[in-house]
Amino acid sequence: MSRVDDLRGTLAAVDRSRAALYAVLFAMVAFYLAPLESGLATSIKTEAGFRATTPYAPPPLGEFTLAAWQVAFDRLSQGLINSLLMAIPATVLSALLGSLSAYGLTNLDWRGQTGVLVLFVAGVFLPYQSVLVPLRQFWSAVDLPSLIPLGFVGSYEGLITLSLTHAAYGIPICTVLFRSYYATLDEEMIEAARLDGASAATIYRRIVLPLSVPIFAVTLIYQFTQVWNDLLFAIVLVTDPSNQVVTVALNQLQGSFVNQYNLQMAGAFVAALPTLVVYVLFGEQFAKGVAGES
Amino acid sequence: MARLELDSVTKRFGDGPDAVVAVDDVNVDIADGEFLVLVGPSGCGKSTTLRMVAGLETVTDGEVRLDGTRINERGPAERDIAMVFQSYALYPHMTVRGNMRFGLEESTDLDDEAIDERVEETAAMLDITELLDRKPGALSGGQRQRVALGRAIVREPAAFLMDEPLSNLDAKLRSQMRTELQQLQNDLDTTTVYVTHDQTEAMTMGDRIAILDAGELQQVATPLEAYHRPANRFVAGFIGEPSMNFVETTVEDGALTAGEGLVYPLAGDAADAVAGASAVTLGVRPEDVRVSADGDPADVASEHVFDATVDVVEPMGNENVVHLTLPNGPDLTATVDGLRQIADGTDARVGIPAKAIHLFDRDSGEALHNRSLDDAEMDAPNV
Repeated sequence: MSRVDDLRGTLAAVDRSRAALYAVLFAMVAFYLAPLESGLATSIKTEAGFRATTPYAPPPLGEFTLAAWQVAFDRLSQGLINSLLMAIPATVLSALLGSLSAYGLTNLDWRGQTGVLVLFVAGVFLPYQSVLVPLRQFWSAVDLPSLIPLGFVGSYEGLITLSLTHAAYGIPICTVLFRSYYATLDEEMIEAARLDGASAATIYRRIVLPLSVPIFAVTLIYQFTQVWNDLLFAIVLVTDPSNQVVTVALNQLQGSFVNQYNLQMAGAFVAALPTLVVYVLFGEQFAKGVAGES
Repeated sequence: MARLELDSVTKRFGDGPDAVVAVDDVNVDIADGEFLVLVGPSGCGKSTTLRMVAGLETVTDGEVRLDGTRINERGPAERDIAMVFQSYALYPHMTVRGNMRFGLEESTDLDDEAIDERVEETAAMLDITELLDRKPGALSGGQRQRVALGRAIVREPAAFLMDEPLSNLDAKLRSQMRTELQQLQNDLDTTTVYVTHDQTEAMTMGDRIAILDAGELQQVATPLEAYHRPANRFVAGFIGEPSMNFVETTVEDGALTAGEGLVYPLAGDAADAVAGASAVTLGVRPEDVRVSADGDPADVASEHVFDATVDVVEPMGNENVVHLTLPNGPDLTATVDGLRQIADGTDARVGIPAKAIHLFDRDSGEALHNRSLDDAEMDAPNV
């Protein structure tokens, strides 16, 4: 019997420490998710509902509505489309250019590459605020429609401006991300390709690029989220209301007299949905890229 | 098919007084179809030498010639040379077929059909046909090794360069691949330079071996010549396992002296060789050291027999490696037949036959006298 008692004692001890562990974990999760939950709860309440209850409480009986979501969708839909039109090219462009420059700075050997790398790294730490004025002046001086003589350029000038700006400002961080990955590529493999007769461009196209899928996932997710969530450049560079992106539109959901919290919360979720979709789509590759697998 | 010449090849890393000389004035002439093994300890410059031949490193001084043409300035792609790397360096995202096709696609104008044919042929020769559609990640170490070889062979280059290609394999597979590689090189008859730090590979595989130390070429010779006629003390110590015994001695009255325990009288050629020298290193291979537990070893002159104590016996199966200490003298290692029973701690008599000794200048390390090969059997190579 005593052995059974011993076992019971051990199990009880294990149970207690387990229970404590789970309690702590649960508390941390609750703490972390509380703002999300509050937002979600508020977004499905009527105006009377969110005034009568605390933010994290579920909607009281009869005060449940999806109206705020509907309004949010209606008022943000143009912004969502504009944001996609702007963010996708910007993300793809900065990832591709970042990959190319990282290849040139990591796997090729040439004089002065350290100096160039230092410039890229400096670019990572450049605060957006510090370039707002020169950036505005630069784009005022550039006449995009006459530079790119295509019909649609005129009506999307604000978006193209914003997209190109984000692409350019994304290159340094993308380069640094790709570089750390390319530094782990087997150098002998690149040398083998050189001996096999491949040029630097061919090695990039046939060896390096196909092996970059995981790091592309990381960079695309990171860069897409950055570009999508930006408000500062969007406010400064886009003046035409038809070119308004979703972050600016979301900002305008704030009423000037009455704060419609349910609408703002629903709007925030609507605006955040695409970044969530991107994570889900590239999640597996993302994990691989972060873990540094090749 | 090509003759490969290294003419005073030198590689310096860095400039000015801080420059590190990795390879110093190396001269080797590798005949068409020859298998040359470049051997030496880590950091001796053997890989750098190979990489200079491949075009992966620039040549600081001297000339690399392929069939009489200087190729220093040619890029790796323009040298018609294939290399097998230690890490195999396969392209992980391509199938074995893709790996083997890559070089042909990039360096030749062959059409798809001809490339396929070449790949199939090479795969059949290496017995990897069934692996063609797999990716490197799904292959074992030995299989990857074969694919790496296949990728080099399929291009039919003028010369193969191999950088420690067997060092990632386990011991058994390594000795099997050693034989196979030799066979393959014999069949293809392509000039090959093979880099290794493993003296067994150097001894068994090469037509000739080039021994490098600290960037300097020590000796280029057939394996047996390097073994029996080492140019200097470094070669003598590097080639052979267990390595040669070295005893630091002084020359007194025509005898080598290392303490009271070892006074070794010299006669004939050996005595002439040390005339004028005062500090000499005596070298003798472990298999030449005679050990006897009762009485003197039979075939050694009595003046060349000494008292000794057996410290440790390492049984290898086919032989025993016996570590001995001479009282007031040096330590020696001997190998004796595996069936002989010798116990640790016992006293023994040790004979060093006069015809088996090597003598080296203690300062320069140069060989003054090498062992006599008078009793070599008729089928022994002419060295």
